[in-house]
Amino acid sequence: MKKKLLLCASIFLMALSLHAQETFTISGTISDADNGETLIGASILAVEQGQGTVTNEYGFYSISLPAGDSVKLVFSYVGFQSVVQNLVMNEDKKIDIELGQGVQLEEVVVKANSYQEQVNSTQMSVEALTVREAKLLPALLGEVDILRTLQLKPGIPSGTEGQTGLFVRGGAADQNLIVLDEAIVYNPNHLFGFFSTFNADAVKDLRLYKGGFPAQYGGRLSSVIDVKLKEGNKKKFSGAGGIGLISSRLTLEGPIQKDKSSFIVSGRRTYVDIFTNAINRSNEGNEDFEQIPAYFFYDLNTKINYELGEKDRIFVSGYFGRDAFNFDSDFFNFNFNWGNATGTARWNHVFNPRLFANTTFTYSDYQYNITNRVTGFSFEVGSKIRDTNFKTDFYYNLSDQHTLRFGAGATYHQFNVGRLQAGSDDGDVSFSAGQDFDGTEFGAYISDEWIAGDRLTINGGLRLSGFINDGTTHFGIEPRFASKFSLNPNLSLKASYARMYQYVHLISNAGLALPTDVWYPSSANVKPQISDQVAIGASFALGDQFLFTNEYYYKWLDNQIDFIDGAQLFANDDLEEEFAFGDGYAYGAEFSIEKSQGKLQGWIGYTLALIRRGNFRGVKQDIMEGRYFAPRYDRRHDISVVATYQINRRLTASATWVFGSGDLAWLPSGRFTFQDIPGGAFEPTIPIYGDRNTFRLPDYHRLDVGLVIKLFPKWGESDITVSVYNAYDRRNAYFIFLEPEVNPVAIGDQILEIPDRIVARQQSLFPIIPSATWNFKF
Amino acid sequence: MKNILFYISSLLLINTACNLTQTVEIELPDYENQVIVECYLIPNEPFTALITQSASFFAPFPTDAEAFLDQTLLDGVTVRISFDDETVELNNQAFFNPFTGKLANYLSTKRVPARFNEPFTIEIITPNNEVATAETYIPSRVPIDSVVVEFAEQDTLARALTYWTDNPDEANFYRRILAVGTLDSIEVDFTLDDRLVDSTKLVVGTGFDYVEGDTIINIIYHLTEDHYNFVNSVFNADNANGNPFGQPSTIQPNLRTESNSVIGIFTGLSFEESTLIVEK
Repeated sequence: MKKKLLLCASIFLMALSLHAQETFTISGTISDADNGETLIGASILAVEQGQGTVTNEYGFYSISLPAGDSVKLVFSYVGFQSVVQNLVMNEDKKIDIELGQGVQLEEVVVKANSYQEQVNSTQMSVEALTVREAKLLPALLGEVDILRTLQLKPGIPSGTEGQTGLFVRGGAADQNLIVLDEAIVYNPNHLFGFFSTFNADAVKDLRLYKGGFPAQYGGRLSSVIDVKLKEGNKKKFSGAGGIGLISSRLTLEGPIQKDKSSFIVSGRRTYVDIFTNAINRSNEGNEDFEQIPAYFFYDLNTKINYELGEKDRIFVSGYFGRDAFNFDSDFFNFNFNWGNATGTARWNHVFNPRLFANTTFTYSDYQYNITNRVTGFSFEVGSKIRDTNFKTDFYYNLSDQHTLRFGAGATYHQFNVGRLQAGSDDGDVSFSAGQDFDGTEFGAYISDEWIAGDRLTINGGLRLSGFINDGTTHFGIEPRFASKFSLNPNLSLKASYARMYQYVHLISNAGLALPTDVWYPSSANVKPQISDQVAIGASFALGDQFLFTNEYYYKWLDNQIDFIDGAQLFANDDLEEEFAFGDGYAYGAEFSIEKSQGKLQGWIGYTLALIRRGNFRGVKQDIMEGRYFAPRYDRRHDISVVATYQINRRLTASATWVFGSGDLAWLPSGRFTFQDIPGGAFEPTIPIYGDRNTFRLPDYHRLDVGLVIKLFPKWGESDITVSVYNAYDRRNAYFIFLEPEVNPVAIGDQILEIPDRIVARQQSLFPIIPSATWNFKF
Repeated sequence: MKNILFYISSLLLINTACNLTQTVEIELPDYENQVIVECYLIPNEPFTALITQSASFFAPFPTDAEAFLDQTLLDGVTVRISFDDETVELNNQAFFNPFTGKLANYLSTKRVPARFNEPFTIEIITPNNEVATAETYIPSRVPIDSVVVEFAEQDTLARALTYWTDNPDEANFYRRILAVGTLDSIEVDFTLDDRLVDSTKLVVGTGFDYVEGDTIINIIYHLTEDHYNFVNSVFNADNANGNPFGQPSTIQPNLRTESNSVIGIFTGLSFEESTLIVEK
C-alpha cells in the first residue's frame, strides 16, 4: 500500500514538473503605495492572453503564463491608479507592485474591472465591504458599524431592531463563523448587540460568504465573516480618530523600520459612565436619588508586522474588548463584565513563485462574569470558551489552469459552562454548578480552481473535519463545489454546493444576543449541526456602471438544536436534557443592483425568503409534537436601498432605506386565572402559549440620512459626519406585549385586581436620532 | 425588564419622553378554551379543588365579581381522589377559606390524611367527558431552622434570612414566600431546588427592606417535582409577556389527557410557617 502511494506521489510530482516547464510564473504582492498595506483581491490581468488572477487574502498573487510570450500585465484595484508592465516570459519573475490613489489618468483608471472580477469569479454568494463605504453611510448614534452595514446587503436580514446579529440565508445567529485576523470572535457584540466589537478604524477588509463556501472555511453552517485588521502604515507615522456622541476612538500607526515593519494600535471607549458617575457623585447624600449603574465598553486592537526577508513576513495581532456594568450601593456590589480576547501570530512564507504558505497560531477567549456581594454572602456566575488553534494553508499555482489551496488545522477548545459559586462567607451555605469540557476540532482541506475552458471555471474542494470530546469522535466529509460559465464577457452563470459541519453550539433561546449565552460542544448526545446548500445565480455587468446579481438558494439543516419549553438554561449541570434536536430548511431568491462608479453610488437589494424548523425531539419532551414552525427571523421580504452622492469635494450625502416583513413573535393565545397555593399571589391573567411564532409583527421600515462634511485643515484630513437615524420617526415594533388594564373587585373580604380588558402594546426602541461625529486623520 | 430597556435607552442618550410605547390592534391565533385545575392536598385540610376555564386572551372580562365567578368557575366536573383503597368524590360546591384567602369550587367534607410520601391519584371527568388523571404525594415537612433578622451597619433597615436543612440524599424542591403584615402582602416569592446545593444548610434572604416593628411571615413549602415544574412554567409564561429577553413557555401540567383540553396541577403540599416582628 505504502509503495503504491509513493508511486502515485512520484507520478503526480513528475506531472507537475513537466507541466511547469511549459510556463513561467510571475508572483509577488500588491500593496497601497500610500501606506504599504497589502491589497486583498487586487486584479492582475495578462491582457493578450486573457488570463487573470487576484491577490489572495495576504496580498500575494501568482500567475503562470506561456513561456516566450510577450505579456502586457495590468495591475489594478478599485479606486487606485492601475499599473501596466510589459514583459517577456523567459523566466519566473517576482514583481511587487504598489498602487497609488493619486490623480487617476483616464486610460488606466479602474472602472469596470471590479465588476468584471465579480462576473468572472467562481465565488458566488459573497459580499465585500470596505470601511470607506461604511464610513460614508449614516450610522446609529454616529457609530460606524461594519456588521450593521452588512445587514444592508441582500440575504442578510438583521435580527431585532438595532441588533448586529446576522441571520444569513435562514441560519441562526450562532451559525456565523466570525474571524478577526483568523481568530474566532465568539461574541461580536457590545451592549446586548447594539454595537459590534469591530472598530472600523482598525479594519482593512471584510468579506461575508453566504454560500459556496471555500474549502478553507469550516465550523459554522451559514456564513463566514472574515475580518482583516490593517497592518499599519509602513511609510510614515499617521493617526486617525473621532469624537462621537457616545464614544471616542484613536488609531496610531507607523513604520517601525520603513518599508519593512509597522505597527498599529487602535482603541475605542464609550464615556456615558463618566457622566453617570458624576451625576451619582453630585447626588451623594440625597436619599431620594437612586444611583445610576455605570456602563462602558472598550476595544483595543493592535498589530505588528515585520518582513524578515523577501520570502518571509510575520504578523502578530491582538484584540481585547470588554463591556462592564457596575452597580454599587451601601448594601451590595454588583459587577457584570463580558468580552473577547483574541491573538494571532502568522507567518507568510513564499517557497517559490508558485507556492505560498500561511501558518497561523490563534488564541480566542470569550467569557462573562457576574459577581454580586451582599453583606455576608457572595454570588458568582460565569461561562467561558477558550480556543487555541494552529493551522497552515498553502496556495499553489499549479499551472495556468489549476490553482490549488490545501491545508490543515486543529483547534483545542476549552469550555466552562454555567459556572456558579454562591454561598455565605462562613461557608455554612454553599451552592455550585458548572461543567468543564474540552474538545479538539480538526480539519483538512484541498481545493482546485480549474479553468476548464474559455468560458467554464470550476472550483472543487473537499474538507474533512472532526471533533473529539470525552471519547466521542464525530467526523464530517464536506464537499465544496462552485462553477462559473461565461455566456459573454459581461454575463456569467454560477452554481455552487457546500456542506458545512458545526461542532460547537450557542445556548441561547432569547432570539436576542445576550452576553450570557454560552457555547456548548458536540458530545455523545449532541451531534454536529449540518447544512447543505445549493445556489444558482447570474452576474451581469452592464457597462462600467451597473452590476446585476441574482441568486437562488436552498438550504437543508440537520441536527439543529433548540430548547424545550421551560428549559432551565441557567446553572444547570444537565443541560443536554433541555435540548431538542430537529432539522429545517430555508430557501430564497436574492436580487441586487450595484453602482460603484460616478458621483452617485450604492445598491438596491431585495430578498424573498422562507425558513422552517421542526421535527424537534428531546429527552424530556418534543417541541410542538415535532411540527414545523418558522423561527423569529423568518423574514419574507427584505429590501435595502443604499445611496451616496458626492455633491462636491467637500460634501457627500448618503441615505439608506430598509424594509422588512415584521419578525415573528410567540404571543399567547389564551389566558387563565391562577389562584396559587396559600400565600401565593392571585394572578388573573396567566398567558397560555400555543404554537411558536405564529404572530408577525408589523412591517419594518426606516430611512437614515447622512452628510459628510469634509474639512481641509493644514495638518491632515478631517470631517464632520452628521447622521439622522430613523429620519421619518417611524415607530417600528421592538416587541409586542399584552397588558391587562385592572379594576379592583371585592370577593369576600378581599379586594382583587380583576382585569377590565386586555390591550396590546407595541414597544419601539429608537425614535428619530440625530447625531454628529468629528473624525480626523493626520 | 422595562427597567433594562429604559436603561439601554438612557445609555444611548435617547429621550425617553418620545412615547415609544403605543397601543395597537392585533389579532391572535384562534384559541379553544381549556379546563384549568388546581388541586392541592394539604394534610388535615378538606379535599378541595379549584376548576376553572380558560379564555382566549382578548375575550371580554366580566364586569363584576359575580359575573367573574360565573364565567370563570367550571361546573359539572367529576373529581375523584383515591388513596389506599379509599376514593373521595368532591362535590361541586363553592368554598372560600378565610384563613388562606383561597377559593374552591369542588369540596369534600373529608380531610386529607397526613400520609407523607404515599401515592394519591386523581381522576377528573370534564363536562365534555374528557378524562384527566394524575398521581402525586405529599412531601415531608421541612422545618425552618431559624429566621435571622440583621440590620445593616449604621442603618435602620433590616433583612431576613430564612435557614432550613436539606436532605442531600433526595431531590428536593422548595418555594419560599415572605410576606409583611399579612399573607396578601407578598414581598418575596422564590422557588429553588437542591441540585446545586453543596451544603446541607439552605438559606434564602431578602434585601435590606424592613424596619423595626414589621411583621414578617415566612413560609417554606416543600414541593413535588411536578409542582415545581408547573409553578415555574406559570411564572415563566407570565414573565415572558412583555419581556423581549424572556423565554415564553407552555404550561407544564401533571394532569394527563388524551387531548390537550385540561391543564392543571394535582399535588401534595407541606409547609412550615414562621412569623416574627423585626426588632433591633
